[in-house]
Amino acid sequence: MTSVGDSIHPYVVTTTVENWNRFAAINDEFIPHSMDDQAAISEGFPSAFGMGNIQWAYLHNMLRTFAGVNGTIMKLEIQFRRPNTKGQTLTAQGKITAVTDGVISLDIWTQDQEGNQLAHGSAVVRPSTWVPA
Amino acid sequence: MPDTYMVPEVLAAIGRECSRSTSFPISTSDIRKWALAVYWPETPPQAFIDAEYAPEDFDPFAWGPAKYESLLPEDDGSVIYRHGINQKALGIPEWEFMVGVNGGMDCKYGVRMHAGDVITDVKSVGQWSERQGKTGLMLMTRVVSVWTNQRGEEVKRTINTGISY
Amino acid sequence: MTVNVGDVIPTFVRETGFANWNRYAAVNDEFVPIHMDDAAGEAAGNGGAFGMGNLQWAYLHNMLRAFVGENGEILGMEVQFRSPNVKGQTLTAHGVVTGIEGDVISLEIWTDTQDGLKLAPGSATVRMGK
Repeated sequence: MTSVGDSIHPYVVTTTVENWNRFAAINDEFIPHSMDDQAAISEGFPSAFGMGNIQWAYLHNMLRTFAGVNGTIMKLEIQFRRPNTKGQTLTAQGKITAVTDGVISLDIWTQDQEGNQLAHGSAVVRPSTWVPA
Repeated sequence: MPDTYMVPEVLAAIGRECSRSTSFPISTSDIRKWALAVYWPETPPQAFIDAEYAPEDFDPFAWGPAKYESLLPEDDGSVIYRHGINQKALGIPEWEFMVGVNGGMDCKYGVRMHAGDVITDVKSVGQWSERQGKTGLMLMTRVVSVWTNQRGEEVKRTINTGISY
Repeated sequence: MTVNVGDVIPTFVRETGFANWNRYAAVNDEFVPIHMDDAAGEAAGNGGAFGMGNLQWAYLHNMLRAFVGENGEILGMEVQFRSPNVKGQTLTAHGVVTGIEGDVISLEIWTDTQDGLKLAPGSATVRMGK
């Protein structure tokens, strides 16, 4: 799983206010539109929606598993494109775009259960057990 | 729904000790965050910001105990009962309830909790009662929880009433 | 400070909603759907999400702590939760002195809403700080 074009193991989570409130708890990020359907609807969204920071965390979870315990996440960037609304099954995914001397570049994104991309970006990691292809 | 919940197994359980939990040492951050939450949006009293002692209502077991043991021979202790008791292991019939709510608390305080304290909680079965409600017969379960610190001083003694219907 | 039977002590007031409840869930690990999600609260027959009894318990402590002062003690407290604290209510913790024995003061305590609906009545004993 270290060749260009390979997909890495995804990180899948069904997202609700429970996930977001727990994240708000550790990040002091108690934002009305992430806690309260009414607040989000008044802003034009279909329901409460999760913070971008937790998608960022899920992408890190995926990359950390891929890189291994002693691996290093060197770089990550994403853009948020759609809201992660209540009840969606969110999947963090990654596809290898380059492999150079043990450093792996990836295209990364999150998507909902219907395949809509919510956030998209790229990452660079150095896995702990890299073996040349 | 039975005619009464006050069956022999329920009455025989009164007074039985069910579990013993030991907390992680209380940290200054635990105290500060608790106070920030319960005083929000105002700033808590400086004593809590400085973590001189914990608010009386502080719960060091909130995010799980350091150690948990069941005191019931019929319970292997694999499930942690933070607020309640293992009624099945006590032989209480497995009635099906629609709703369980917090009916109230009755608490006597002893010494204060401070950062560094390790609290032990022993839970036992209190008195049971039943009452006819709008949706049928309700069962009131009382759990007695006694907290002591690492010096054996009593921190508090609480009776929590759960209502099931 | 002189305390007499019948004295009304300073209240503790909060407009309650997810901002309070989720912060409390955060410290008490009490992430229960009926307290976080209107749909879950409504399904449970409460018209929407509602706050934890434990947080009303904490607000009553906050009120008593301010009353007894820095070196005072809250000796005991009991309350019964009678009605749910739903979103948007302004919840007030109240206390009235009902008895004085030596340095121990007994109080009737309760929380109510902006409409005067009593949510959690109870009693407490405290010792004033020196």
